[in-house]
Amino acid sequence: MNLRAYILKRLFLSIFVLIGLSIVIFIIARVVPGDPARMALGPRAPQYAVDQLRQEMNLDQPLPTQYYYWVKGVLVGDLGKSLTTKRAVADDVKEFLPATLELAFIAAIFVVIFSIILGTLAAKYRNKWVDTVIRVMAYTGVAVPAFVLAVLFLLLFGYIWPVIPVLGRLSPEIMPPPTITGLITVDSLITGDLSAFWDALKHLILPALALAMGPLFQEARIVRSAMTDNMSKDYLAAAVGYGIPSSVIMRKYLLKPSLIPAVSVMGLDIASLMGNAFLVEVIFNWPGISRYGMEAMLRKDLNAISAVIIVFGVIFVLVNIIVDLIVAYLDPRIRLGGKV
Amino acid sequence: MSKNKKWTLATVLVLMVALLLTGCGGGKENNQDAQGNSTAANQESIIRSTASDVPNIDPGVGSDYASSIAFANVYDTLVFPAHDGSLKPWLATDWQTSEDGLTWVFNLRPGVKFHNGDELTADDVVFSMQRMITIGEGYGYLFSGVVKEAKALDKNKVQFTLNKKFGPFLSTLVRLYVLDKNQVMANKKPGPYGDMGDYGKDWLVTHDAGSGPYMVKELKKEEYMYAVKFNDFWGGWEKDAPEAIKIIGTTAGPTVRTLMTQKQLEQSDQWQTEEALKALDNIPGVSIDAGFTGSMLNIMLNNKKAPTDDVHFRKALAYAFDYQTVVDKLFPGCKKAQGPVQFNLPGFNPNLPQYERNLDKAKAELAQSKYAGKLDQYPVDIVWIANVPDEEKIALLFQANAAEIGIKVNIVKTPWLSFVDQVATPDNTPNASVVFVSPHYNEAGSMLESRYHSKSTGTWEQGEWLKNPEIDADIEDALGTLDQNERYAKYQKIQEKLVDLCPSIWVFDQAEKRAYQDYIQWPGAELNKQGKPVSSVMGYNFYYHDYKVTSQK
Repeated sequence: MNLRAYILKRLFLSIFVLIGLSIVIFIIARVVPGDPARMALGPRAPQYAVDQLRQEMNLDQPLPTQYYYWVKGVLVGDLGKSLTTKRAVADDVKEFLPATLELAFIAAIFVVIFSIILGTLAAKYRNKWVDTVIRVMAYTGVAVPAFVLAVLFLLLFGYIWPVIPVLGRLSPEIMPPPTITGLITVDSLITGDLSAFWDALKHLILPALALAMGPLFQEARIVRSAMTDNMSKDYLAAAVGYGIPSSVIMRKYLLKPSLIPAVSVMGLDIASLMGNAFLVEVIFNWPGISRYGMEAMLRKDLNAISAVIIVFGVIFVLVNIIVDLIVAYLDPRIRLGGKV
Repeated sequence: MSKNKKWTLATVLVLMVALLLTGCGGGKENNQDAQGNSTAANQESIIRSTASDVPNIDPGVGSDYASSIAFANVYDTLVFPAHDGSLKPWLATDWQTSEDGLTWVFNLRPGVKFHNGDELTADDVVFSMQRMITIGEGYGYLFSGVVKEAKALDKNKVQFTLNKKFGPFLSTLVRLYVLDKNQVMANKKPGPYGDMGDYGKDWLVTHDAGSGPYMVKELKKEEYMYAVKFNDFWGGWEKDAPEAIKIIGTTAGPTVRTLMTQKQLEQSDQWQTEEALKALDNIPGVSIDAGFTGSMLNIMLNNKKAPTDDVHFRKALAYAFDYQTVVDKLFPGCKKAQGPVQFNLPGFNPNLPQYERNLDKAKAELAQSKYAGKLDQYPVDIVWIANVPDEEKIALLFQANAAEIGIKVNIVKTPWLSFVDQVATPDNTPNASVVFVSPHYNEAGSMLESRYHSKSTGTWEQGEWLKNPEIDADIEDALGTLDQNERYAKYQKIQEKLVDLCPSIWVFDQAEKRAYQDYIQWPGAELNKQGKPVSSVMGYNFYYHDYKVTSQK
């Protein structure tokens, strides 16, 4: 199967994944206890107001009919109205998604870069002190949840050593750039506002690090393990025998194949960063979609819940397709359909 | 060192330096932030406060705490709740009531301007009342069953006709926020309200149409509301009044603490834990205010489910409970409750008999209960709300106290949504539920009606399922009494009857605690320090027009 057909097939299958996801989340959101209309209006609201809201949201219809109306709306970009923000959910997604995307993107960069570096170092110096230090760091990084790290970072850089901003996306004295993409770093670069870019970048460091630590060290361990395994392979001994420089062996013959298992896990982890960002967003006062989604769940904001899950679902599917492509690039057996 | 080794280490080094440079660049600027004397925002005369939500600034929609604070600052009402519990003339300079109490006429203050420069007239008041009733959200419930008609008699005179006698009508008018009719209707969109379209709901999500001391400059959903001083405010301004206010939608402890330390926050929300408050109190220049603003903690006892359906069993629990430990150790600063109404709510009965911890009395009551001798067959379930972790302490204490008289208690942690669902029927409502409650308007009648009238059964406000026709009739009679003193006397009688029925364990009157910077002058905190009452109408303790930001900052 050529690459184009492979991508098309994955995209086609993804449609079914998303349909399945939408049905599951639609049902789950509705079986959670509580009448969303009554929740939104409070116990004191007169019944006519509750009935009116139920009618507006089609809650007075059977579930399949509700699902039909919802899908009909989604297909034309209408995700319904949020009971929390009292406006179109599509507007909420537009506003909150870029903040989380920006955060997850920087966290993903940390994951990719540092996991490869640390994994490589650990493999290269296996069973030496470098390996031991990285191993201890890895156990700590994986075991400590992101929100605990977030609180630690906040305490460290908010009180003890305030060298880096800890809250929000921009400092209060910095004027935000005009919204073009919603990604402040990108918008500030587009508009040439370097002070805003620099400030936004600094604000991203701590939440992204807190978010990245777990996956970063997990992947570092996988890279180390794969590299250690490959070191004992015959082809590597042959490469050494041919007198290929050790740097080339390291990069081309050892690191590249060793990345395959790590990249597969990395894809899942990077896609999960968005969903895991909730507490980190709360602690760093980061106005992202993860926090919005969690608030929506607590308030049974049906349209918002469905929209956030679908958005996460789409991102998860896309990231996994990208990861599969990277794996296919790294592993010719996959790229060429096992013809190697 | 080999070439490879050098290459690897150099890469790591470069990345580390890049990271540090990115992180440390501008550090000086942020150090200055921490000292609170450098940034433009810090130099501004502003009050920034945190809240559990970013306000809904549409008075036809919002009714939560943050929204109520925003309404008090952005809109005006006919009357204004003073800290001592009385009502001050505000947009209305005076008013008359018909003898039957069904017609109320208000004379409006002339020359009041909305934020866009329009003049406020009786038409705007009529429009605002009709809008609240039609939409039915937010505080609309206060008027929907009560006001039959609103009519402008002339430009500055408005008349309300009521469906029934309603003594506290004037008290409820602190929730009738007046909007600029022309501005709202100019921004209406198609919607479910006939000719009124969407009644401007969509536009009012992010815009205000008020005449209050502050006008909304920016509302970022789920982030903050920022409002600036309205220079033409009819009430005028005093020196050092805040130029701007910002309500930030977060209550996360570490976030609040950091903002407070960096002097990017002047006033915290009331949801900080005791431990967080202690930490905030340790920040130089930060104080803690504890004020009673109407909220109470109750253990609601299901009066329709065994074994709490037996009055003697309920009384046994009430006598066994250790109130003093709660107010001394678990919730210091709070006040032991005296009956079903908070002590500073007009109409409270100060002479009520109180339940005190007395194990002998508890055992005596239990002996009279129909469940005496078979307690092992009737364990009591107590529910605490997962969203309010402090409530667990109450549930644990209740369990320990009940065990002392031989009652087995199971503690159940329940998410709020599940609890709301459970209390919809008496069978599913737990035997005991730990819940905070507050009045809807500034009178004891509000608490009595929402907590013990049969019409509130099935909602989270009444986990008791009292359903007592005599109490219902008494509450209706009191609410229909126009003479204030007579009405208050009736409220007091009802409170006596309720204490005798013991439908709930009234644990404490909550002291809302907030941290604030010493460089602001907060009238409510000053009154608290002097032991004087503070407005218990939600939101009005945060009328920022009366605050001051001093130069000490």
